[in-house]
Amino acid sequence: MKRILATGATAIALMTGGAAYADFPMDDNITFVIPYSPGGGFDTIVRQFAPAMERAMGTTVVPENISGAGGARGGQSVHRSDPDGYTIGIYNIPGLTVNEVTGKDQGFKLDEVTWLANLAVETYALAVAADSGINSVEDLCAMGQKPKLSDTGATSTASITTRISFAILGCDIVDVTGYSGSNDAMIAVISGEVNATIKPITSLKKYLGDGGSGDLKLILTLTEDEAISGVASATDIGHPELAKFTLNRVIGGPPGIPADVVSALEAGLRAASDDAAVQSWAKSSGVGLKFMGVDATRAMMDDLSSFYQQYKDMVAVSE
Amino acid sequence: MGLDVLFDAFVSVFNGGSLTFLIAGVLLGLTFGVIPGLGGTTALALLIPVTYTLQPLDAMYLAGGVMGATSFGGSISAILLNTPGTAPNAATTFDGYPLARQGKAGMAIGASATASAMGGLIGLFTLLLFIPVAREVVLSFGSAEFFLLTILGLAAIAVSVKGKLLRGLLAACIGLLLAFTGANQFTGETRFTGGINYLWDGIPLVPALTGLFAISQMIELALKGGAVADSEAYSEAKNMKITGVSEGVFAVFKHWPVLLRGSLIGTIIGAIPGLGGTVAAFLSYSSTAQTAKDRDTFGKGNIKGVIAPEAANNAKDGGSLIPTVAFGIPGSAETAVFLGILVLHGIEPGPQILLQNEREIYGLIVALTVSAIGASLLGLIFARVLVLITRIDVNIVVPVVVTLSLTGVYVLEGRMADVAVATIIGIVGYLMIRFDYPRLTLVIAFVLGEIAERSYHQVRLISDDNVMGYMLGRPISVILILATIITFFLPAMRKIPWSKLKRSAS
Repeated sequence: MKRILATGATAIALMTGGAAYADFPMDDNITFVIPYSPGGGFDTIVRQFAPAMERAMGTTVVPENISGAGGARGGQSVHRSDPDGYTIGIYNIPGLTVNEVTGKDQGFKLDEVTWLANLAVETYALAVAADSGINSVEDLCAMGQKPKLSDTGATSTASITTRISFAILGCDIVDVTGYSGSNDAMIAVISGEVNATIKPITSLKKYLGDGGSGDLKLILTLTEDEAISGVASATDIGHPELAKFTLNRVIGGPPGIPADVVSALEAGLRAASDDAAVQSWAKSSGVGLKFMGVDATRAMMDDLSSFYQQYKDMVAVSE
Repeated sequence: MGLDVLFDAFVSVFNGGSLTFLIAGVLLGLTFGVIPGLGGTTALALLIPVTYTLQPLDAMYLAGGVMGATSFGGSISAILLNTPGTAPNAATTFDGYPLARQGKAGMAIGASATASAMGGLIGLFTLLLFIPVAREVVLSFGSAEFFLLTILGLAAIAVSVKGKLLRGLLAACIGLLLAFTGANQFTGETRFTGGINYLWDGIPLVPALTGLFAISQMIELALKGGAVADSEAYSEAKNMKITGVSEGVFAVFKHWPVLLRGSLIGTIIGAIPGLGGTVAAFLSYSSTAQTAKDRDTFGKGNIKGVIAPEAANNAKDGGSLIPTVAFGIPGSAETAVFLGILVLHGIEPGPQILLQNEREIYGLIVALTVSAIGASLLGLIFARVLVLITRIDVNIVVPVVVTLSLTGVYVLEGRMADVAVATIIGIVGYLMIRFDYPRLTLVIAFVLGEIAERSYHQVRLISDDNVMGYMLGRPISVILILATIITFFLPAMRKIPWSKLKRSAS
């Protein structure tokens, strides 16, 4: 009797196991892990993509917020799940890359993640108060005292970008960290508490002249080519390497997802990226959609890791 | 501008389905408010996926209903069970619960309902007045003012602990220790985490406060009640009567200066991102208790001790919209989630938000107004029934409240570790009750510690280490420094026999 039961159980296990790959994604809902609380940038993009993925893949996609430890906890949760494609997540990149480079143990290794796609890339710009009389990076660095910049946490991507960029530019700055959010950091520039800030262009837009409040102006974009007309790019000031600093919306899954499931997920994400609703949302909110498939995403992740590796000493902060 | 849109928004609320969403929000807000551990932020966070399918305005009505109703809901459990339903209601327990034990639960609920509604209205009225100058208000509060406000808060608490200065300071030190756990915003290093990466983000506020107030109180009740039905706590609960609801309503109007001051403190603190209702309610309570002639009766069942925190607590909702209308940034955890809902509907929060999304913002203001009044009316109607909670055997109350509040703590982020934190701090809280250490100083130090440290570092960097000189050059900073000095010397100044001095002078 025992043997029959055991055989039966094995048979069922084999059947369901085999079916999971063949019928993906029809056996279950796809859980899409967001490593932050509802309402932020990571949460919003996933909640916009989820219904479009449902339309493309014909299955239910359930966003789940698992916040904590600067995005590491959500990553860990994805890492521990079964590699059947039914659990995927969005990753805090390059935040997690930087943590790894500085030797922080986040409970999983980024090179073990099954990278699926990159959905969007946000680029940075340097902004000053519109009425400040500062019109270029040289003006800012020649103020007679160290320019002060505002940031959220010392380990935030924007703060790391700020410190490395100005080190590359050979300009001594004071990075005033501790603002509660990037909006508060930008308002500190408007109120004159600090001189400048480096933030994603999409966040800065609402304070700029064209269609925004006109409180801030850009003096540099961290891009290879001119991103905003009349504003110098990284190439213009002779430091194209500054264009490497971006904020990415990267999707991945646990190690060891079978190749056919990876392709199905990649196709689903790509279709969602082309979805009319997602496109119109991106247009209205100014999010820079930039779809990259599995191979390109993997290459980008390796690239980022070696990029931050060379600035390891600047990334690590101390008082 | 403004007024026609406001009027339109009022009309549209009472048209069609909008009212349904608003009422649903009020009921949800009351329920989440009454249950310790669950609060407005939890309710809104849980609602986010639901609002996804709604029209933006209906989503606003739902959110506004929730935001306006939770704090009054929370005062009910604070008064009846000595367990604040939401964190800001903690200050309401100090006089609300003694009143309930004296059989005046009805009066306390009546006062809380009225103070909540009036506070909410005053806060929103102030907001409307402030809208034209909201920008200047927000820009004039920088890191220096943040730092000085936290110092004022800590000073107010330090002097409010009468006769227990050393115990109060010890508790405050524990509060600071808890506040400094996690990643240091300046060095990026982690402190006191013991290698546990759950602690990277610090000790979360809601589980900590739930433990300190709800769980500890339940341990206290359970131990007092014991297996004997006729125990002290049980008979106390049995003797409670629900009379004097109208007496409580009138008390609010009789003590209108308390109501006004509370509402003003609530609005101002609400306008400063990061401080929030808990600080507003405590500051309002302690400033009322400090300046009252009958200050010795505070903590023993003074109705003003209910009015002050509840008015502040509700006025803060209006205040927290000041930074929102000025710059599209949140003034409180609730408005942060509310802005998240806007983002989901394709609306980008920013300095132009009032121009571009007038309907949504005014819709929210109307929803908050209707909700504040509606929740209080519901509270007054059901007060008699609600008070029956206190007549239920503690053997039933304790397991229900513990289960609900720990579930609430878990639901917020889905982390089991949060439940562990609530339980551990609950035991610490019980020990503090048992050995007569004030939990108040711990909470305030915990809430303000991180902001104080962070803003001090910022001022140091901004001022090139000339902290005092920088602050003295800023008018609001100077006012706050003076207020702090006055707070410190008030108790000493009271001891001076002024009348005698006058006589001897003449």
